[in-house]
Amino acid sequence: MRGLIRAPQNFWSGLALIAFAAFAVWGVRNLSQGTLTSIGPAMLPRWVAIGIGLCGLVLVIGSFLREGRPLERWHVRGPLFVCLAMLVFAFGIRSFGFLVAAPLAMVVCGIGSSEVRWRELLVFALALTIFCVGLFRYALNQPIPVLLLPGLAIEI
Amino acid sequence: MFDFVSHLAFGLGVALTPTNVALCFVGCLLGTLVGVLPGVGPIATIAILLPITFGLEPVSALIMLSGIYYGAQYGGSTSSILLNIPGESSAVVTALDGHQMARQGRAGVALGIAAIGSFFAGTVATVVIAALAGPLTEVALVFGPAEYFSLMVMGLAFAVVLARGSIVKAIAMILVGILLSTIGPDLTTGQNRLTFGFAWLSDGIEIAVLGMGLFGIAEVFRNLESVERREVVQGTIGRLLPGAEEFRQSAKPILRGTLLGGVLGILPGNGAVLGPFASYTLEKKLADDPDRFGRGAIEGVAGPESANNAGAQTSFIPLLTLGIPPNAVMALMVGAMTLHGIVPGPQVMTKMPELFWGLIASMWIGNLMLLVINLPLIGLWVRLLKVPYRVMFVGIVLFCCIGVYSLNREIVDIVILMVLALVGYTLVKFDFEPAPLTLGFVLGKMMEESLRQALIISRGSMMTFVERPVSAALLIAAVLMLAVAIVPKIRQGRDVVFVE
Repeated sequence: MRGLIRAPQNFWSGLALIAFAAFAVWGVRNLSQGTLTSIGPAMLPRWVAIGIGLCGLVLVIGSFLREGRPLERWHVRGPLFVCLAMLVFAFGIRSFGFLVAAPLAMVVCGIGSSEVRWRELLVFALALTIFCVGLFRYALNQPIPVLLLPGLAIEI
Repeated sequence: MFDFVSHLAFGLGVALTPTNVALCFVGCLLGTLVGVLPGVGPIATIAILLPITFGLEPVSALIMLSGIYYGAQYGGSTSSILLNIPGESSAVVTALDGHQMARQGRAGVALGIAAIGSFFAGTVATVVIAALAGPLTEVALVFGPAEYFSLMVMGLAFAVVLARGSIVKAIAMILVGILLSTIGPDLTTGQNRLTFGFAWLSDGIEIAVLGMGLFGIAEVFRNLESVERREVVQGTIGRLLPGAEEFRQSAKPILRGTLLGGVLGILPGNGAVLGPFASYTLEKKLADDPDRFGRGAIEGVAGPESANNAGAQTSFIPLLTLGIPPNAVMALMVGAMTLHGIVPGPQVMTKMPELFWGLIASMWIGNLMLLVINLPLIGLWVRLLKVPYRVMFVGIVLFCCIGVYSLNREIVDIVILMVLALVGYTLVKFDFEPAPLTLGFVLGKMMEESLRQALIISRGSMMTFVERPVSAALLIAAVLMLAVAIVPKIRQGRDVVFVE
């Protein structure tokens, strides 16, 4: 395998495109394509997906013929904690409100950096939370729940 | 001629109400605030700030948005000059000489000439838009669906040519964008497509979420990879106002840059991105001693910055007259307009003249705002840039979350944002550019509509696209451009432009 593929990045890109295209074609399998005079819902998605598949095929074939870039290194820490932070925010905002969700999410998010400094992060998280409540909730009047504590029946 | 003056005056009347001026100001300020953050370009900035315009009247909202847009542009130049971290591809050129000037203690002059050049370019471009909008709108009114479809094909072909790296990958990205745009109900039958039974997919994907995920958060992932080695220019910023000699040196580059950027910006398919590169190359060729370039030549800041702003502004022309966004930023503008119930296109000018001319006038006010209010605030932006990235990215992520949540107050949108961010990171890892995807995403729905209509009119004959002369010409232009991009020799030239 290894000696055959001269451009690993393109090879895997191509395979991914083909898989994505196949998935889309499968996704619209139950919809009618219609005719050229009256285009059905599946016409565009299906043919565009086929086009994507062809692009993928070109990339895969090309990866055997021409030298190309190797795969890049992936970093897990940053994306992992940032994604976790987004989930914390998403599930915290409705249940506990911004005052709880935002600082919590920011602390989780901050761990994503390899240079995290705890004290600095905590101070920043608290300050930005207060700033954002002022800016978005009160100055810009966005409908963001500020604090919800169902047990105490507090709702701001 | 009188017509055009009276239109502008009418527009100024709309834009100069105290509320609208205040909104334009706040927009400029917030746009700069977010745009100045390293790695946050105009696309991400607009996406993040889009929700704050929701509660406003359509005219005011658009005026605020254009303020945000100019602020974001200017913020990008600031971080390129002071930090050497360009927020978007067109600011790369500014970083070359601008950052060198900053290291020589002339940061203030670099920022000053950038703002002055941009203001001049913005003023000229505003006049150009006001003058061209009328005639072009009339052209647009004779365009049928077939012509629209071909025009969009040409725009996408141009976007492929202008994308960096592999052509096949750029085409694939555009197609993926179009495919993503088909998610949700089919416009004629109402059947759900590609939603896989999930209710939260039945409205499709929001363009703002797409922009924030692919451009905002994905960029954070990338920046977190490396330990930060960022040096904010130490010492003083120096005086902001360029001296007489510096003005003399920059006058012609500003003029030429404005012309180049303005013309390129009108082209569909993100021609604006070429402006700064073209201007830089031109100035270097015309200079008496080209060696100074890359070592802090003021022409290398004045020209490209003017070209950038002129292009940024004339790229409104295809959007306002034809309703076709030429690049990802304008694509977001379409999203914003649609959210406010405005369908961009030739009918806007006739049906909503106050919106149309008000927006054009506010472009000029936005530019003026940057010059007179933002420039003196430069100290504030410098202080902001000294915030280390390990803290700053936390703020960027939070802003994105708040932005997405305020769109529809849907929690699932934040999850979609997360998935799109991971997709964006993956794309970068495999050397795909997200910008063509965004363009394809916005044009996708319009293309399907015009394709459908054109084929209904022609009773299913595909020949309609080549039988109608205008449509045929547009398609030929598209094919020529793609052919040019594939011919190896010219391709090398294209790579050189981007390397430089």
